[in-house]
Amino acid sequence: MPYRQNRQMVAMLLAGGQGSRLGVLTNKVAKPAVPFGGKYRIIDFPLSNCVNSGIDTVGVLTQYQPLELNAYIGSGQPWDLDRQNGGVFILPPYVKGKSGEWYKGTANAIFQNINFIDLYEPEYVLILSGDHIYKMNYQLMLKEHIAKQADCTIAVLQVPWEEASRFGVMSVDNDFKIQEFEEKPENPRSNLASMGVYIFSWAKLKEYLQKDELNPESQNDFGKDLIPSMLSKNEKMYAYEFKGYWKDVGTIESLWDANMDLLLANAPIELDDPPWRIYSRNANMPPQYIGTNAILVNASISDGCNIDGTIENSILFPGVKVESGAVVSNSVLFSGAVVKQNAVVEHAILAEDCIINERAHIGQAKRTEAAEGPKKISVVGQDTVVEAAAVVYAGESVEGIITKEVRE
Amino acid sequence: MNALGIIFSYSERENLRELTKRRTLASLPIAGKYRVIDFHLSNFVNDGIYDVSVIAKNNYHSLTDHLGAGKEWDLIRKRGGLRILTPFARHDSEKPGIYRGSIEALAYNMHSIRRSMAEYVVLTGSSILCNVDYKDLIETHIRTNADVTTVFTKQKGALGGIPQGVAIMNFDENNRLTNIGLETEENNTGDVNWGLDIFVVRKSLLESLVADAMSYGRFDFNEDIIKRLISNLTFQGYEYNGYLLEVNTVAGYIQASMSFLDPYVRAKVFQRPIYTKNKDSVPTRYYDGCYVNHSIISDGCRIEGTVENSILSRGVRVAKNAIVKNSVIMQNTEIMRDVTLDHVILDKDVIVREYRSLSGHATYPVIVEKGSIV
Repeated sequence: MPYRQNRQMVAMLLAGGQGSRLGVLTNKVAKPAVPFGGKYRIIDFPLSNCVNSGIDTVGVLTQYQPLELNAYIGSGQPWDLDRQNGGVFILPPYVKGKSGEWYKGTANAIFQNINFIDLYEPEYVLILSGDHIYKMNYQLMLKEHIAKQADCTIAVLQVPWEEASRFGVMSVDNDFKIQEFEEKPENPRSNLASMGVYIFSWAKLKEYLQKDELNPESQNDFGKDLIPSMLSKNEKMYAYEFKGYWKDVGTIESLWDANMDLLLANAPIELDDPPWRIYSRNANMPPQYIGTNAILVNASISDGCNIDGTIENSILFPGVKVESGAVVSNSVLFSGAVVKQNAVVEHAILAEDCIINERAHIGQAKRTEAAEGPKKISVVGQDTVVEAAAVVYAGESVEGIITKEVRE
Repeated sequence: MNALGIIFSYSERENLRELTKRRTLASLPIAGKYRVIDFHLSNFVNDGIYDVSVIAKNNYHSLTDHLGAGKEWDLIRKRGGLRILTPFARHDSEKPGIYRGSIEALAYNMHSIRRSMAEYVVLTGSSILCNVDYKDLIETHIRTNADVTTVFTKQKGALGGIPQGVAIMNFDENNRLTNIGLETEENNTGDVNWGLDIFVVRKSLLESLVADAMSYGRFDFNEDIIKRLISNLTFQGYEYNGYLLEVNTVAGYIQASMSFLDPYVRAKVFQRPIYTKNKDSVPTRYYDGCYVNHSIISDGCRIEGTVENSILSRGVRVAKNAIVKNSVIMQNTEIMRDVTLDHVILDKDVIVREYRSLSGHATYPVIVEKGSIV
């Protein structure tokens, strides 16, 4: 037997979701692998939070389109998770004896990996999801969990009342003990929303996972089944209030919004934070070159970019090329996107390696429209070629080869 | 590749003023985010040479700090990998680390070189950046049955002449070396073959050549091995025609740095990946009112002022109304409001306070030493 050190807490990161609301952006990758913020992917945030919180054993549960995610995580070295003991482990569903099945739900995914968690004999298990942008010290949450001798602690944050029905919300008493939990209620009685970050005492969680598995009615989901069932049995469940920036980036609009947040004058989340760095796999490209015709107005630009056009309020990932006369405004351009001469890209997300040819127009057809009302974000899928002078209208998602004007 | 790469991290004939006061030539920052040695290591790795030794002489702290265990260059290997050969005190020498020539440097590190399982050795200096195809070089060396193959070029150096102090070589019609001399003239623009300080030799032969020269107290590779043995051994020439950047002098360094603004040079140099230490810096932020024109900018910068015709390393801050022109700005420097810099090299961690103005000339840039506050 190799030497294995027991862990106080093991993190399990649920990364199997398809993220269908991200449309063409998740055709080829799982949601946690979706790029964010100029050089990161969504999963860099929970992984970096783990490492910065001193958690060095992380299981990543994958299921949907795992290839890119697996390759991205690799040995875990970029996050310092290549360890002799512990480290990062990719945990796909696997065949067990004569049976073997897909992860049926979030709780079932953990149930199927009980043996993995047991290897480290942890006292606590941290459950995370791969679709949020935030910087959080899980160690502080664990402290609270231990101090309150809780069976389960759920991280919550106050959301505007009108948005509360989009989340799992909980009513708490003065001591933050959870009285009631409602998953996406129509008439929420609280505005404390679950962040999808849970700490369980492992013995208790294991007991409930096994019970939940035997219940044929259950959808094997934390929010829908396991947590309500623990509440009904009066287990000690507490909310832990997080006061910081947290954003669900499960939709095109929220992904775009969260990117734009980084460009605000007083950005609500600061990534240039050496004590709490967000780590990511390095693209290994030469520095960016800014050409003689470039105009840069509030932009975030990464290595390998070659910029000769106008960039306003936009985030450019590594290796983006914007030629002279082209205008990119209020947009997010993933790695390797090319915007050719005199093309215009507004209020858009361009996925990896897409090519916007000369004079093509992506997004709000008239820039004046952008000034009022909610913006409709246009999305150009991975490897898409938008031919010269073609138009992609506001709010449209396109893929493949776009040759002519597309009407709504 | 069945070869050991050896990089001399220093140069015997460099004049980089303050830039190498506290560092060795190989760890000199260049092209924004890189150090000189990144180009040499990446060339080896890109050609499949994963057994690399770096010979350090003095001021190598920044070099070891940069290289670490060699992770970024994929040089943490069970077979081969990166070794940094630092000087050490020996019972028979008075001044550790003061090698009297490349032969002595090799001799003092022979215990390590001997241990490598590679059959051939490729030796290179640090001061010339190029991308010799090592696979083809070694194949040519084997095919021609040469004892030593030396890489030469007919191209003029970046400053338009033959760099002072290099070896001038004559070859016969079969590219066999017939004569070798030292370039002593300044700005020789004649039509000659000059050596790039890159050699291939069978490791066992190198071991005996070095041992032999040492026993006679001879220390210079060109003078004491090649010149002396030119009629006894076959020294073959291998011509190189790719890009060349020299970083031996301040003028050469500025020229080499600025050449990265040329898309043709960038395309050539970055045709294959050049690896460097990863700093996990954030993307660069450009704020309202900034103006950037014809410049190389690395990650982690914050730019509010004007940057023209300049090279910026990682984590440089340029505040409002500051103007940076024709300059090379190294890592983590801070240029405060209303500063004007023209033809300046700011070394790492420099702070230039408000309203200061520094101006040099293309042929003699102002160099501000590491960590200074202006």
